[in-house]
Amino acid sequence: MHALTKPLSAVALTGVLALFAGCTAEIDKMGPDSMISGGGSSNGVGGAGVTAGTTSMVGTPSCMAATAVKAPMRRLTRFEYNNTVRDLLGDTTSPANAFPSEESGNGFGNDAEAQDVVPALIEQYVGAAEKVAAAATATDRIGSLAPCATQVTDSASETACAKTIAESFTPKAWRRALAAGESDGLVALFTSIRAKADFATSVAAMLEAILQSPEFLYRPEFGVAVSGRTDIKQPSGEEMATRLSYLFWSSTPDDALRAAAAAGELATADGIRKQAQRLLADPRSHEVVRFFFDNLLPISGLSQLERDKTEYPTFNAKIGSLMRQETQTFLEQEIFNGPGTWPGIFTANYTYVNQELAGYYGLTGVTGDTFQKVMLDPSTHRGGLLTQAGIVSGPIHTNHENPVVRGSFVVQKLMCQIIPKPTGAVLAKVTPPDPNSAATARQRFSTHSSDPVCHACHQNMDPYGFALENFNVVGLWRDQENGVTIDASGDSPVLGKFNGPLEMEKVLAASQQVQDCFATQWMNFGYGRTLSPDEACAVESVRTKFKDSGFNVQELLLALTQSDAFLTLPAVPQ
Amino acid sequence: MKLIGKLKLDRRTMLRGAGSIAIALPWLEIMGHDKLAHAAGTPAKRFLSVYQPGGTVLDSFWPSSNTDPSSSPILTPLAPMKDRLLVLKGLNMDCAVGEQHQSGIIGFLTGSNQTGSPGDYSSYPSIDQVIATRIQSDMTTRKPHGSLQFAVRWATGKSHGLLSPINSANFEDSKQLTPLPPRLDPQQIFDDLFGTLAPDMDGQAQARVDRRKSVLDYVDKRYVALSQRLGASDKAKLDNHLTKLRDIEMALSQGVVGTSICKAPTRVDTKGYNPTTGLNSSDNGSVVDENSDEMIPTVGKFMMDMMVMAMACDLTSVGHFQWTDTEAKHTFPWLNLPNHHHFYQHDGGFQPVQCQQIATWYSQMHLYLLQAMQGVEVAPGVSMLDESVVFFGSELAHPPTHEKKNMPFILAGGGGGLKGGRMLDFGGKAHNNLLVSILNLFGDTRTSYGHAQYNSGALAGITG
Repeated sequence: MHALTKPLSAVALTGVLALFAGCTAEIDKMGPDSMISGGGSSNGVGGAGVTAGTTSMVGTPSCMAATAVKAPMRRLTRFEYNNTVRDLLGDTTSPANAFPSEESGNGFGNDAEAQDVVPALIEQYVGAAEKVAAAATATDRIGSLAPCATQVTDSASETACAKTIAESFTPKAWRRALAAGESDGLVALFTSIRAKADFATSVAAMLEAILQSPEFLYRPEFGVAVSGRTDIKQPSGEEMATRLSYLFWSSTPDDALRAAAAAGELATADGIRKQAQRLLADPRSHEVVRFFFDNLLPISGLSQLERDKTEYPTFNAKIGSLMRQETQTFLEQEIFNGPGTWPGIFTANYTYVNQELAGYYGLTGVTGDTFQKVMLDPSTHRGGLLTQAGIVSGPIHTNHENPVVRGSFVVQKLMCQIIPKPTGAVLAKVTPPDPNSAATARQRFSTHSSDPVCHACHQNMDPYGFALENFNVVGLWRDQENGVTIDASGDSPVLGKFNGPLEMEKVLAASQQVQDCFATQWMNFGYGRTLSPDEACAVESVRTKFKDSGFNVQELLLALTQSDAFLTLPAVPQ
Repeated sequence: MKLIGKLKLDRRTMLRGAGSIAIALPWLEIMGHDKLAHAAGTPAKRFLSVYQPGGTVLDSFWPSSNTDPSSSPILTPLAPMKDRLLVLKGLNMDCAVGEQHQSGIIGFLTGSNQTGSPGDYSSYPSIDQVIATRIQSDMTTRKPHGSLQFAVRWATGKSHGLLSPINSANFEDSKQLTPLPPRLDPQQIFDDLFGTLAPDMDGQAQARVDRRKSVLDYVDKRYVALSQRLGASDKAKLDNHLTKLRDIEMALSQGVVGTSICKAPTRVDTKGYNPTTGLNSSDNGSVVDENSDEMIPTVGKFMMDMMVMAMACDLTSVGHFQWTDTEAKHTFPWLNLPNHHHFYQHDGGFQPVQCQQIATWYSQMHLYLLQAMQGVEVAPGVSMLDESVVFFGSELAHPPTHEKKNMPFILAGGGGGLKGGRMLDFGGKAHNNLLVSILNLFGDTRTSYGHAQYNSGALAGITG
């Protein structure tokens, strides 16, 4: 949600842009010794080491040098906390919604480097743990923690059951096996509380302690040695299970994943890919994909857009939320049930609407509340993500069309191109044009081309916005603005000329930069940080696999699990 | 020296008191006020910032008389406390560079531009946090809570219930400058701060506190153990977590102790009020939550009661009380205003009559707060307000243009020798100078705060 109101940080985007150059440099300066074990060389004992198998662990042949590996300790986001207590305890109350919201960081609110702790967060951890624990120890639920909980008869059986619960629940909650004697502290806590409270309340205290421990709230990783390498380690089976489940589900590993880890199946890139495929096929991955797009695209605030009711009588909050559902449904169908390529998402000649939204668009033949696929012929002027009403309405917070904010969204989010925020003297010149100063937006924003100071930045943004000018602030098509025929042509320094939304989408779909940017956005989100320039080879590995798949989004998600950034961690803790 | 000083003060007290009898003020109250003069040179003990969104109607705000700070339509409700008010005219919030509203609330207490990155917030801590650091670093003045932030009907509109530059006024006094989200749930605040004092609980409040302490004691040890195994950067993260966990453990251990002035406030029924209503907005597609809006005055007064009592109970010395946020997108059913404040500011065209009505109501609420502080006698003849500095302000001055010149700022109280009963005109100085002056009232002797270019020295004359 932050992503809507804030551009990506300059630091983040600079990093993104520097990646290409970085990779070449790394290859040049690194010799063959620095290659991570691959190509059939043996490593590890007892299946602990990453064996390359048929899949190279280190990306493409052109970029075999191991570059910097980073794995800052991540903390569960609100989204992850909610999903985790749901999957651990069946708690669907989304208790983390009350937590202070995350800093945007990488644009997805899960940037490990941007996570900070304020007192209010700690208090909320206390409150959430108490609520979750109370619900999980209610009379009708406590038996699902352990059957013994409903059969306790005396002090000895209670203590034994407390130990059973501690030893069965804690490894799941902490995503690792307990060391010998590690449950003793929890049982001692139970005993001390039990002196003054009943059995269930005392069990709840243990749960609270588990849920507030750093092993639950954070994802510490220690790794295991990689044979012959002193610079890197690889995640342990449990740590890899955790990486996988938070990548695909934003939640805790399930039993099957834990079993795979225990069986050593997550020690190879192929084994990891196999589990990744399973997780991706589970509906829980759809929620994560939706979360990603809610943060990447300007759609999460659509139900709260304010528009003049007289000027736009058919738009209301309900329509706004339907617009968001249109984009969400389209992406989900396209990615999980359709061809699912990122370029195809820009050029699809269909969308998904229900009766009410179809009526809003003027599309016929759709009945009922369920969203269904409708084909779009050229007379609708629509087709592809950027012609969806929510995408063109979302960036604008006034009643006036604004090619700058639309263009800025395209450039910064879809092309990963940094546009520095105006500062100092330039900022002083920035005033939105008077909405009555000229007939069309292009004319109102003409200073952006006539003033060289403005032009320097705006030539990179405005053309994309101009191409969308036929869509008004509520996403409906118009040929004219104030009686003047709209000129929807754009000429961008990076992607050249295009006229109107459909042409621009074709240009974007064909752009390598757009594909690379999409991969980078997924890496930042999937790895929970902002990639830095010295990780160029991991980036290239993902981008190459994405390209080789014909830019298939599911293949991109699987490729995230096959890069150095996912398969390794630094040998020396950072 | 001490003796002479005391004699001098006593003599002055007598003179003032005698002179004032002519206007028939109660003797004790006059004596109380003079304790305030006595406090000159003694640092202020408590700081409370109060944020009201959307500026004001300037023509109706500025008092007509320099010696009667309530002599304006908007400030009339504050007449009963006019002797304690210092209205500050002619201050410009020059530091507020950035988004029109956001930069205003960010600059309000920080004197800082809205940064471009990362996070789009502030480049300096807010002064409330600087004051808190100062008070907390002295073991004789340290309190269980370094500061408390409360907000009513917070995170409306585009902030969707979330912390955002739209709604953040407080920034941690640390390198990270982390924005501090306010507490939102009045019942939760009551339970957390006064649960063990309250007569209407189930008698289990102390048991719950003890239980929390036991749980946190266990958790504390886990942080210590894990921290030792981490690299420097991860360890710093976990240690920061542990430090704040310990602050909460300490607050629990110290707890609230009932005294003659520290009693649980009356728990007010806030049924119908959803403190996190912004979070649900996308679910029902509706912005207006009539039930919550209806309860704003009730919740506001309850939260002000609790803020004052938290100070009376020595739970904290620093507070921030915030009416909604810069979006201010809630309605005012009790004023019969069906649209939201932002609509009246400019979204629906500037509507000065409605804006004035809203600003006047905020004055009424501010009176409520100041009277509550005045009503707490912290020492014989000395009120909490006498020892406090209350800073009331907004993120902009003139709603339709977002202009931040001539900001509607008011100080109240007598802490550090602050002298009320006046309006002073500073003729266009930057408000960073005011922030310096406020810090000076707390014994912080710095001469500049925030970006250097907005500083020209502390404001003259605020202590009379």
